[in-house]
Amino acid sequence: MSTITKVFDWVNHRLPIQNTYERHLSKHPVPKKVNFWYLFGALAAVVLVIQIVSGIWLIMLYTPGEAAFASIEYMMRDVDYGWVIRYMHTTGASMFFAVVYLHMFRGLLYGSYQKPRELVWIFGCTIYLAMMAEGFLGYVLPYGQMSYWGAQVIISLFGALPYIGESLELWIRGDYYISGITVNRFFALHVVALPLVLIALVFLHLVALHEVGAGNPEGVDIEAHTDQDGVPLDSVPFFPYKVLNALVGIGVFMTVFAIIMFFFPEGGGYFIEYANYEEANPLVTPDHIAPVWYYSPYYSILRAVPDKLGGFAAMGAAVAVFFVVPWLDRSNVASIRYKGILSKIALVMFGISFITLGYLGTVSVTEHRKTMSIICTVIYFSYFLLMPIYTSIEKTKPVPDRL
Amino acid sequence: MNLIAKRFINFYHLSLIFFVLFCIFFIQNTFSAEGAPCKDYGECDEFKHTLTDMSSLQRGASTYLTYCYGCHSLEYSRWNRVASDLEIPEEIFFNNLVFDASVKPGDLMAGSMSKTESAEWFGVAPPDLTLVTRLHGSDWVYTYLRTFYEDSSKQYGVNNLVYPGAAMPNVLASLQGNQQLICKQIPVIAKNGGEKRDDFGNTITKEKCGFLSVESGTGILNKDEFDKLIYDLTNFLTYVGDPDKVERERIGWYVVFFFIIFTSLASLLYREYQKDYH
Ligand code: HEM
Repeated sequence: MSTITKVFDWVNHRLPIQNTYERHLSKHPVPKKVNFWYLFGALAAVVLVIQIVSGIWLIMLYTPGEAAFASIEYMMRDVDYGWVIRYMHTTGASMFFAVVYLHMFRGLLYGSYQKPRELVWIFGCTIYLAMMAEGFLGYVLPYGQMSYWGAQVIISLFGALPYIGESLELWIRGDYYISGITVNRFFALHVVALPLVLIALVFLHLVALHEVGAGNPEGVDIEAHTDQDGVPLDSVPFFPYKVLNALVGIGVFMTVFAIIMFFFPEGGGYFIEYANYEEANPLVTPDHIAPVWYYSPYYSILRAVPDKLGGFAAMGAAVAVFFVVPWLDRSNVASIRYKGILSKIALVMFGISFITLGYLGTVSVTEHRKTMSIICTVIYFSYFLLMPIYTSIEKTKPVPDRL
Repeated sequence: MNLIAKRFINFYHLSLIFFVLFCIFFIQNTFSAEGAPCKDYGECDEFKHTLTDMSSLQRGASTYLTYCYGCHSLEYSRWNRVASDLEIPEEIFFNNLVFDASVKPGDLMAGSMSKTESAEWFGVAPPDLTLVTRLHGSDWVYTYLRTFYEDSSKQYGVNNLVYPGAAMPNVLASLQGNQQLICKQIPVIAKNGGEKRDDFGNTITKEKCGFLSVESGTGILNKDEFDKLIYDLTNFLTYVGDPDKVERERIGWYVVFFFIIFTSLASLLYREYQKDYH
């Protein structure tokens, strides 16, 4: 026996390396036929790594507090290739949400949340919630005008809560108005607390997924037909087949990522808002406060409700409602391919309303746009709240036996 | 059962049609333009940067340091970085363009005015301009600097179409000349698209105001020369706002090329492995 094998054996008797490798990679069965929608989970994991690595380098160069804005310009100009690190992180933030939105849409499209994947979905929703908090905190750190006034809008929502509102607001800010102190604490949460939560949740998400196995666009249960060893007939081992598949997806994704990062890092003012090129100024309110694109649908919902507290509640409900989707869907099939016309219409309407809300959240309000956002908010919630009805009355198509 | 299903479909097709109509009806209003980006001027004039044109950038830097730097710092930019990026030998740069003897090559271009004093003089401190082209866009800056006009009601006797009420004198007036807002007789356009004429065949005109016009002979430069000067100045500010743009895009091509190769290889490998189960 060679020394390497000996060392490996020694470790393997004390740490389940071989077991884990087989259980989760070389012998983990995954459906042999899925489509591109199933790549976004892997892409989300890739972006998570990009964010963590670029984030660590950012911390080396960034100064929290009132000096934050200048420290960003310092790293962009005086540090060799500092812009690589920063643009990687800003592009990554937008791509993270883009990829996760598509990943979630896949879930709605193919009923991935249905039994037995409810917990996978719930961990997913919790990840999304943590991401929203993470993104918000991160956006405050460069301490530009939009950082400041965006934070002002969001923090003041907590102030609208009855009784505890005002003291809660003060507690979050750590000061009587948003200041370097606020930036310091947001920094701590953004770089330590929430990443830990996110990593833990992604781990749970994947453990839960591997326990029940991945779904497929047909909604076929591949476990129903297995060979004598209990391996599903319509499956292939995760490694190397699905890993190679993912690698192709990652290649395409990274090409898009690089094009944005090197040629359009501001994403037309949607990824880095132009107004954030001005240092935070508590005395000057910008004419037009708009969130980054990935929050804008919720910002629209917030603005659609005239009352501040009501708007806050609607916004919260719009995110919270995702958690209960597994119990709202009463259909006997999973995939949109075999669901009825009602589900199809509902999903299309939901998609349109989500995008329209997103657009409306980035522009200033007019009477007309307000009406639009109210209508879209109603459609948004109807998609979920009417789901028990339309999924149970519609006629579904028979699902094939095999993949 | 079939009949009910058919009805259902009809009903939903109908509502789909209704929805599409609704969209068309609402879209126009929803996407109607925000206020014009260049305010009273309307759409900004387009500016296309040429960040590899060193002589343009050098002329722009020279104009900036002569006319603007007295009030507007470039506080995130360093003297020697500008000199080397613009390929100006340090000696020439520091002897001819830097008017403050105490400046060291590695210093930030922090300006020569105290913020509080200048706030007293102008009402607001002149802002730092390192990032102005990223904040407002180069089009905006290019248009703004060319749209000052005489307005005796203002502190400095000038106002600006792009930034009405700007608390800034037109420091380039001696070059540009006296620009005023004038009214013109312009032809009235008839319904058929042609110019409207009266019974004698003369063009009917009406008065329209708000046109910029420079009193001839009052400026050192003519219109084209002045536009060129502002072009170079804006080009320089575009460079200052994003000094690594050229380098970034150069590297970007390699990175994109790398990932395209990577994707092709990965896809070939994947196809090879797919043969195992197809
Ligand atoms: C950091 C964020 C996330 C990461 C890294 C991640 C990762 C993954 C990965 C690698 C998979 C397996 C491959 C695939 O099906 O695409 C997966 C599956 C899944 N994810 Fe996520 N995910 C994230 C966020 C979410 C969110 C926000 C949701 C939903 C709200 C979600 C719901 C699901 C569901 C339901 C599946 C199972 C799909 C199936 O097997 O049919 N995930 N996730």
